Amino acid sequence: MHIAELPGSLWMDINHPRSDPRAIVIGIGDYHVGTEPMTSIGLGSCIGLILHDTRLDIGGMAHIMLPESGGKRDRPGKYADTAVEILIKDLSKKGCTPKTLQAKLVGGAQMFANFSGNLSIGLRNVEAIKELLKKSGISIKGEDIGGNKGRTVYYCPAEGFQVRVRRADGSCSEL
Amino acid sequence: MTALTPTQIDALSELGNIGASHAATSLSQMLMGQIEMTVPSVEIVDLADIYKHVTDDISALVIFQMQGEIEQGGYIIFLMPLHSAIRMTNTMLGMSDESREINEMDESALNEIGNIMVSAFLDATAELLGVVMLPSPPTLVIDMGHAAIQQLLVEVACDVNEVVFFHTKLVCNQYAINGDLLMLPDINTLSRILEMMDNLLNAHS
Repeated sequence: MHIAELPGSLWMDINHPRSDPRAIVIGIGDYHVGTEPMTSIGLGSCIGLILHDTRLDIGGMAHIMLPESGGKRDRPGKYADTAVEILIKDLSKKGCTPKTLQAKLVGGAQMFANFSGNLSIGLRNVEAIKELLKKSGISIKGEDIGGNKGRTVYYCPAEGFQVRVRRADGSCSEL
Repeated sequence: MTALTPTQIDALSELGNIGASHAATSLSQMLMGQIEMTVPSVEIVDLADIYKHVTDDISALVIFQMQGEIEQGGYIIFLMPLHSAIRMTNTMLGMSDESREINEMDESALNEIGNIMVSAFLDATAELLGVVMLPSPPTLVIDMGHAAIQQLLVEVACDVNEVVFFHTKLVCNQYAINGDLLMLPDINTLSRILEMMDNLLNAHS
């Protein structure tokens, strides 16, 4: 097909994480493992944690909200400890090992002073996840964390370990 | 979370309806234009589905904590797409440049407008329930709607995976302005409100 014949709506801005309609949206507290494109929109203090296996080009993403589960197991993607555990577990079923996995982190902003005066939950999330990854022997290959602006993240395992981030101010970057 | 009965959902939407109507009226007076309002929906929304209700488009959010006799009762949020917010302050301040950046004057206008609307909302609902409910001072956030709401969810949904989500859309066709009025009650507040609604219904039946 001649390119000019494509209707405007089919044009995709590759820098715009939500422009891929096939992407699975990982909502708050959710996670997904596989080869499909994935996205987490509007990360505030939450973290989009991405684990990728460069050998197999598969990976997983979790939209983590809190640093500790305190024993709750009903929503593994919601807490740092259970999310790291379940991502590694589900990825091992597909042939990955902690040695072949690499991580990238996006989010953890403090957008406004909390009403309850709690210390930044975003930074506590980041610290918890980094500690857990270190324990599991997974190295961190990139991060876009902290600050006071929201972020949307897009990741397509089949394209390799490229993570696209769009920030609230409209700027985009690749990790 | 325990599911709400149809009667409870009805009662909550009616309460939201009364509050939102007062908020819409005050906005209409400030804009000197007609405001259309959708019937408020009261839904139990899973955290993982919040993105279906709030996008990551850049928005202006005026956030209030519900205070008064109901302590730390949750949040009321007036959310507008950023372009709408700028059109609204332009309309009120007699300006016409829509492509400008948001400035301090917009910010204080948005805080004030939000304050008037949310005070009207809470006054009306509190009067019906016979309690005092006051808004906290406003917090203005210019960011992705989903990201800002998510930070509030950390406060109300630490221990639960679902939230009760009140939602009303306000539209002013005359000036092409639209916004959303949202309420995220804390779980304890919600049960207190339901209790008060029950008493109210029983007293009239």
